[in-house]
Amino acid sequence: MTNLIEMSHISKAFGGSRALHSVSLDLKAGGVHALMGENGAGKSTLMKILAGVHQPDSGEIFMNGEKLDLKSPRAALDAGISTVFQEHSLLPNLSIAENMFLGREPTTRFGSIDYAAMSSQTAKALGELGLTLDPSQLVSNLTIAERQFVEIAHCIQADASVLILDEPTAALNAADVDVLNRNIRRLRDKGKAIVYISHRMKEIFELCDTVTVLKDGALIGTRMVSEITTDELIAMMVGRELQDLFPDRTDDKGDEILRVENLRITETSRPLSLTLHKGEIVALAGLEGQGQQRFLRSLIGRYHPFAGTISINGKALKMPLPASSGVRHLQQLKVGFVPEDRKDEGLFLALPIALNIAIGLHSRRSELAPARPYRNVIARMMEVMNIKASGPSAPVGSLSGGNQQKVLLGRYLAADLDLLLVEEPTRGVDIGAKSEIYHLLRDFTRKGGAVLVLSRETIELIGLCDRIYVVHHDTIVAEMPAAQATEHKILDAALTGGSTRQH
Amino acid sequence: MYRSLFNILSGRNTRQGLWGLPLLVALLISLWLTVETTQFATAENLFNLVAQAMPLIIAAIGQLVVVLIGGLDLSVGSVMSFTTAVLALDQPAIVLIPAVFVLAAFIGLINGLAITRFNVHPIIATLSTQYIVLGVTRILRPVSGGTVPEIVIDAVSGSFLGVPYPVFWGIVVILVAWKLLYGSRYGLHLFAIGGGIASGAESAARNFGVSDRRNIILAYVVCSCFAAVAGVFLAGRIVSGDPNVGLLFELDTVTAVALGGTQLSGGIGSLHGTVIGALVMALLANGMNLANVSPFVQTAIKGGILLAVVGLQSRKKMGL
Amino acid sequence: MAAVLANPIARRLLRIPPSYFVFLVLLATLWIARPNMLNLNIMGIFIRQIVPLGILVLGQLVVMRVKSIDLSGGGIILLINYFISSGSFPGASLPFFVVLALASGLVIGLFNGFMIGNRRVSAVIVTLAVSIILVGLVQFLSSGNPPGDVPKLFNDLYNTKFLSVPTPVLFWILLTAAVWLLLSRTVFGRYVASVGENAEAAHFSGVPVQRTVILAHTLAGLIAAIAALVQTGSIAVGSVRVGLDLPILAVAATILGGVVFGRGDGGVWGPFFGALCFALLFVVMTVLGIDEPGKLIAQGVIILGAAIFYGVRVRTP
Repeated sequence: MTNLIEMSHISKAFGGSRALHSVSLDLKAGGVHALMGENGAGKSTLMKILAGVHQPDSGEIFMNGEKLDLKSPRAALDAGISTVFQEHSLLPNLSIAENMFLGREPTTRFGSIDYAAMSSQTAKALGELGLTLDPSQLVSNLTIAERQFVEIAHCIQADASVLILDEPTAALNAADVDVLNRNIRRLRDKGKAIVYISHRMKEIFELCDTVTVLKDGALIGTRMVSEITTDELIAMMVGRELQDLFPDRTDDKGDEILRVENLRITETSRPLSLTLHKGEIVALAGLEGQGQQRFLRSLIGRYHPFAGTISINGKALKMPLPASSGVRHLQQLKVGFVPEDRKDEGLFLALPIALNIAIGLHSRRSELAPARPYRNVIARMMEVMNIKASGPSAPVGSLSGGNQQKVLLGRYLAADLDLLLVEEPTRGVDIGAKSEIYHLLRDFTRKGGAVLVLSRETIELIGLCDRIYVVHHDTIVAEMPAAQATEHKILDAALTGGSTRQH
Repeated sequence: MYRSLFNILSGRNTRQGLWGLPLLVALLISLWLTVETTQFATAENLFNLVAQAMPLIIAAIGQLVVVLIGGLDLSVGSVMSFTTAVLALDQPAIVLIPAVFVLAAFIGLINGLAITRFNVHPIIATLSTQYIVLGVTRILRPVSGGTVPEIVIDAVSGSFLGVPYPVFWGIVVILVAWKLLYGSRYGLHLFAIGGGIASGAESAARNFGVSDRRNIILAYVVCSCFAAVAGVFLAGRIVSGDPNVGLLFELDTVTAVALGGTQLSGGIGSLHGTVIGALVMALLANGMNLANVSPFVQTAIKGGILLAVVGLQSRKKMGL
Repeated sequence: MAAVLANPIARRLLRIPPSYFVFLVLLATLWIARPNMLNLNIMGIFIRQIVPLGILVLGQLVVMRVKSIDLSGGGIILLINYFISSGSFPGASLPFFVVLALASGLVIGLFNGFMIGNRRVSAVIVTLAVSIILVGLVQFLSSGNPPGDVPKLFNDLYNTKFLSVPTPVLFWILLTAAVWLLLSRTVFGRYVASVGENAEAAHFSGVPVQRTVILAHTLAGLIAAIAALVQTGSIAVGSVRVGLDLPILAVAATILGGVVFGRGDGGVWGPFFGALCFALLFVVMTVLGIDEPGKLIAQGVIILGAAIFYGVRVRTP
């Protein structure tokens, strides 16, 4: 087999943070190449470069020995590189057929779009995947799994020589995964080069020939799947001393602060219950998109759960919480919500660090009250959190990712709260800042606070937390003390839906 | 059958928006006017109605094109006035008629470039050009006057086989717009870009290799050109140049588009809905004229309708 | 261009509101063309003329800081002018008219705020529609003709001076200082800054986003009512056209003053000088013999130019 694609010494930085550092990757025609690594390891960035979405800062890409210049997604598509992105990229207001052919629609003699040809070819491509959807149906009417298949059919239909599948099975059930795998093998046998990004070990070993592991934007190694074991692979992905990163656990559990009983996130989901005590850090673990985030945001009124009760400090909340004032209501009960996306949902990038921290204090006061400067609080937070900046008046946007994340957390730590609901505490943050953030959260619980945290990084949850709830399909399927938890155990529960629930 | 009728009336499961309801409204108004007044259901009044509605129909179709990509063009009315002023410049028609379209396309180009290249909000960009074009128009023609070329006057006032020319204008414009929106790749790309913007994934269409920048610029050019066609039509009707003839047309077009079920956030809407929306506006104006409602009150009522139809559309984000 | 913008000195210059530069350029132009006009008496009269605009700018800048816009000021001014000049309230006192004006501004501002903040309707559409409804109603009530006279007290007050500075100008400066205090020294000011920069983040920080937007619009309505009282005092008669071009001028002055949607680098004094720029601009244009249409073009070019200035700046990280 020859190399169809050679990516050579690719580097890429976003703002100040390094996403990829001199990563090389070779793809062979007729092979399925797995790309693995923790979230934020640089897999998606590398693939977006191959798909023409991002341009590398340095490095080159060759196809059959010829240099490619992928300036845009169009250029990549024209070169025969097709992608199913992790985030859904279909347009909801177009039909399946229109989505399949968007940007390269067949036309009739009169310049009109040839809907008949589009429709029949779409039906054929869907048929190859064993689907019988009406090509003229709008994508907004499809289920998540159906959309995923349409995206894959889109790649098949485009007759690309390189297919990038970024977590294609995240939203699929077992039967659909089988159908998908069958199709991937068929495409492989036709001589396509396939990149397969997944966290599911089973699929990697069943499907892939080669595996490349990335970590923190750097290449760890490339191995033949037949010559490696699961443990070796995990070791490549993890490969760091956990003990150094995480603070010690404590045993002093205080009063119950949060109790959720028989909460049903959606109409069809099974009820879930959980409790949280002062002094505890408790995790919601699980595969991506299993409802952890929806659950956490149900607590602040962003989503309205179908049924169930939520009590804070023994007092039941009046359900449903209004979406517009849920955060404020919880704030009065000394509960804070730290959103995942610090750029879009968390920080005021153009505003000073001082206001970013103090806003949580301001927001508890009435509009006409004089704005206190909170100089001491801000100075203390910046010192305790070791925020590296020219001063409290520097705009947050000028800081590194790690320092931005600390400012965000600082807002909630400064606000004198008892319970923090934290989404992805260390997304896109370097190792040093991660460790600092873990210690800050632990210090918060030592002073009597409690933390409910969700993260895609299972290792982080094991190291940081006292207890772990595993979420699968919009409900909690397992509970375990973190001291006894392993990635394997959690993954097992998250995958199987945890037939054995342990206490 | 029953199901598809429900879909049409509710505007669900389609990207054409809620256009069945305004059609019903239009029919009800017509019925009411037929019963209540003797003048309404005469051939003369109906042809008059078409001629009155035509500038709004044409300009609203242009507005639809930019609304589909989640934009808005507030310079439409100024471009219309400007077109009448240019046509009354006392030059040969062979020069003037191409000139108005070149100038209109240029205005659209400035809008499009400001929005795509310089990151200016569509409303601010087109609000600026509205004023600039209005100023230029007032320099060309401070008050209404001058005469437009004969050919323009003839093109809107004659009739063929008993059918007045304005009806043919309508047919041609709608056919051109239909070809543009439904019979070309460009039309689909407009819906795709708008759908991406409305769902918050602005780069979605780009990932498919659809050039959003170029298509957006072109949309503003198309919108201005439709406004110029409406201006030519108006110039033929009023026979002179008038710096105020397009006043408030930018808002009337938005009302017509929104009334026809098109979502201002982009990606959902239809040509027939827009034509129906413009017709409803014309019918209301016709009815109010027949009922001797003060023109000032008519303006206020139009404002109220705009507020109501746009207010009923829910948006994800607040802002401009 | 990107290289120039990345230069630290260029970036610092970009932070200064354009209104300061434009003000200096206009002042220099006037100094060269008509040096004898640059005395306190003449300038006082010119500046006094734009006080209604300057006041309207204060409301505009507050709503623009929360990423909204208010184009209903023209309608509010016309409505209040009608109330005062139509004789519908014979023998009413000055306080009565002030209260009536403020109440009207409050109600209209509250309505705008509710539609924009709560119903999330496009701010341009709502406020333009409100304006044309008000204009249509006033023109209907007055049958298209200017209503009667304004009580004499209005114009007398308008013509007073304090330490040789026209009272309206002083009033404008005081009001600007008050808005400056509100935005820089109160919790509301912090809410405005956070909502404008990132409404979603403000929500998760516990800021009442909707209420802030509604309050900003209510405030803009009240300020428009104050502008209407001053405007009515200045023209001393009823009119069916007064103030219709003010909202768009206010937008232009605000953008020129360094306040664009969501960003408030220009503070309150940037837009203050933005309004002053228009005072000078009208003088310069009159001196140069440029009429009404030229002014329209200037407004459009200023808004577009300033918006492009900021659009380019936002792009460069």
